[in-house]
Amino acid sequence: MSDVRAIDYQGSERLTMNMGPQHPSAHGVFRAILTLEGETVVGVDAVIGYLHRCHEKLAENLAYVQYPTIASKTDYVAAMCSEAAYVMAAEQIGQFDVPRRAQYLRVMMAELQRIASHCLWLGTWCMDMGGALGGGATIFLYCIRERELVLDLFEALVGARLLYGFHQVGGVRYDIPEGWTAQCRSTIDLIERRLDEYEAMLEENPFFAMRTKGVGTISTELAQDVGISGPLLRGSGIAWDLRRSLPYSSYEDFQFVVPVETDGDCFARYRVRMVEFRQSIRIIRQVLDGLPEGPISSRPGVKSLAQVKVPKGEAYARVEGPRGEVGCFLVSDGSNKPYRMKWRGASFSNLAILPHILVGCGVADVVAIMGSVDPVFGEVDR
Amino acid sequence: MRSSAGLPPVASSRRGVLADAWTIGKAFTQAMRITFVNFFRKPVTVHYPTVSRPFPNRFRGLLALTYDKETGEENCIGCRLCEFICPPAVIKVEMLKGEKRNYAKFFSLELYACEFCELCVQVCPTDAIVMMKSFDLATGDRREMLLDKDRLHAIGLQHEASWATGNRLRDMQQPPKKESAKPEAGSAKPEAGPGAAGA
Amino acid sequence: MTAAYLSLPRAVQALVMGGVVLGALIGILAYVTLLERKFAARMQSRIGPYRVGPHGLLQPIADGVKLLLKEDLVPAAADRAVFNLAPVAFLVPCLLIFGTMPFAPGIGVSDLDNGVLLFLAISSMEIVGLFMAGWGSNNKYALLSVMRAVNQIISYDLPFLFAALVPVMLAGSLRLSDIASAQSRLWFIAYPLLGQLSFLFFILTAVAAENRAPFDILEAESELVAGFRVEYSGMKFAIIQLAEYAHVLATSFLGALLFLGAWAGPGPVWLGPLWFLLKALIVFLLLTWIRWSFVRIRVDQILRVSWKLMLPASILLLIATAATIVWRLPHA
Repeated sequence: MSDVRAIDYQGSERLTMNMGPQHPSAHGVFRAILTLEGETVVGVDAVIGYLHRCHEKLAENLAYVQYPTIASKTDYVAAMCSEAAYVMAAEQIGQFDVPRRAQYLRVMMAELQRIASHCLWLGTWCMDMGGALGGGATIFLYCIRERELVLDLFEALVGARLLYGFHQVGGVRYDIPEGWTAQCRSTIDLIERRLDEYEAMLEENPFFAMRTKGVGTISTELAQDVGISGPLLRGSGIAWDLRRSLPYSSYEDFQFVVPVETDGDCFARYRVRMVEFRQSIRIIRQVLDGLPEGPISSRPGVKSLAQVKVPKGEAYARVEGPRGEVGCFLVSDGSNKPYRMKWRGASFSNLAILPHILVGCGVADVVAIMGSVDPVFGEVDR
Repeated sequence: MRSSAGLPPVASSRRGVLADAWTIGKAFTQAMRITFVNFFRKPVTVHYPTVSRPFPNRFRGLLALTYDKETGEENCIGCRLCEFICPPAVIKVEMLKGEKRNYAKFFSLELYACEFCELCVQVCPTDAIVMMKSFDLATGDRREMLLDKDRLHAIGLQHEASWATGNRLRDMQQPPKKESAKPEAGSAKPEAGPGAAGA
Repeated sequence: MTAAYLSLPRAVQALVMGGVVLGALIGILAYVTLLERKFAARMQSRIGPYRVGPHGLLQPIADGVKLLLKEDLVPAAADRAVFNLAPVAFLVPCLLIFGTMPFAPGIGVSDLDNGVLLFLAISSMEIVGLFMAGWGSNNKYALLSVMRAVNQIISYDLPFLFAALVPVMLAGSLRLSDIASAQSRLWFIAYPLLGQLSFLFFILTAVAAENRAPFDILEAESELVAGFRVEYSGMKFAIIQLAEYAHVLATSFLGALLFLGAWAGPGPVWLGPLWFLLKALIVFLLLTWIRWSFVRIRVDQILRVSWKLMLPASILLLIATAATIVWRLPHA
């Protein structure tokens, strides 16, 4: 099989078009050098690294008590999941217990974060397809309106809306205040009703179907060959969800459906994420109903820099983020700072699918596909 | 779960043109109905800065230094724990030794580089540094965001402080004592509700 | 004053009326943009322009002044003559179509025997201006988008014409004022099935022929970064915007005239133009509502819809109209 990355520049009418890094729909700073023949993409050369902020080096210089806040900034749209990966890796090495209440709170925050992240995904994807002046913007604003409600919940709990610092080694830092449970319930009830509205606007909309069905198909074999994860995998027929297959943080206590679609196109991934919305709401309700009393951390709160010392060892902790498997490989040397941290960003691995699916589609499909892959460049470039 | 309908409107579809047209027409009217319904909903716009939305109790806003409520003395003892814990290292403190207690001779905080992670608040033993329920500090000159001690105290007097102080946070995170069989309840500290964070 | 006006030679009458229409048009156009923004905002749970003037009423003026004050950039590699002339070539047909339309019996620049045909012919000439803009910019994005646009507008002008021909056939004349007076008994949109279908086709093809969403592949911001307008700044950009809105408004006026009874309405005769404006705004808001509700589709899908669906459907509709007229209407 020829190397899919080898671009054939021969041929008449070939146009090299640069998409990004400043582009209204580049989903972050991403540069795709597209080789077009008429309207069809015949080659794509992806350039990343515009958002590299040396997370892995920073982790070697910041203590275990300091870094969780910074970990949020990798996948800044799904900060709760990013922090969880780091903190769980440290807990695995040091064999620290996490109290049940803290585990349940972690689950609830991860699922709320998944709702917020998928709201953003749907909004930006429709905006890319529909234009900033047009129906896309309408759905974008509706999704942002709902996402703001979830961010209000986070603000009431933690004080911050986007980057939290919620997790600490041994548990979580914040417990839910009075009145938060009622607010949470009413918010997710409202979001469930609004989800019906989004589906009404999009599901049977022939325009939406034309843009997404049959576009960007990832076959099951391709999905298994390239290291993608998350909704991309589940949209291509592979039932792999870390929350079900390798449960962490008490996920085995909750009942939820792992959506799998077999078509592998953008519409299938859209369906997977829409079902994930509803399942997240279901999990949150179960958490709220069954939240145990107890401490929120097995270790005291941060009092000094040298407080958390993780014994020598290494561990890889993985969480199911909204974009796929977010993983943190930590090597510790017994001090209060890691020796080495390697971050597996879900979007970085997911971007590897692009040369396979972008070739052969039209220019307009490039944005539809990029949106359904849903990269966040904080994770890609770290 | 909804069924996937909505084939492209090609006249040679197997189900016939009329069936296609009916599906398309229904889908169009549905989408337009949603926008129509939203037309009559109240806009969610908050007319900032004329109106400001209510901040929840734990809001992480501007940083400030506090005075003791009873004695009026500065709370800060210059222990430098906040300086050491700060991930981007924006705090600089110098201790001034006194007879009964220590003070901070020099305290500066570079707000333009601050992450608002609340770790300094978390570690402070005397609840000296807290975050305010306000973020209003937009300036045209970055030097105005290099807050010195007087400025930090002034901000503390100007705005309302958030619920989260060092001692409260550490109490909330404290694991149960090993000798007592009964674990501490989740949030023992009473506090007001999260504020009318609006829908 | 009416007597003085009527005593002038016909050519001067047309000039005066043209000036009045143009003046009113520019004012209405500016505020139609504000109307669209506020309407769209309400559908998106927000308020539109609010701060500039009470409830944003001075926003169009502020926008106009801002665009006037902006630097006029011409790309170094652009074809200067074509680039500079393109906005004008785009604007002129879009304003000229207002000259073919009567706004009340007797008021209007002209009221020709073949009004509808003239309207559609002149409005199709905007393609030339569009293409000049794309070509003169010497920019891949602009070129791509304009090729698509020309394709799209040509494909949709035919079904647009056929949809507009249904009221013409029902009224029996191409003259716009005849069509308006033929609706004195019943508006054409109320004709069972024929009226609604032809109005529906009219709206759909109008949306496509004017490059409005969901068929706005011409200016697909997210893919082509404003398409053919990408190199324009300042007043030229303002002229292009104005021309687009003028075209949409003119089509709304045509729709109101063909289907909604033009200037018919309760009250004295001099309220006629106001009723006409109101109906045109309703059609405009309908187009806006469609614009803000749907994502856009790819250009090949747009063309497929046109040639495989709209064209056969509108031809069938015409045949059905003809049959209905022969068998049902008394004056055929």
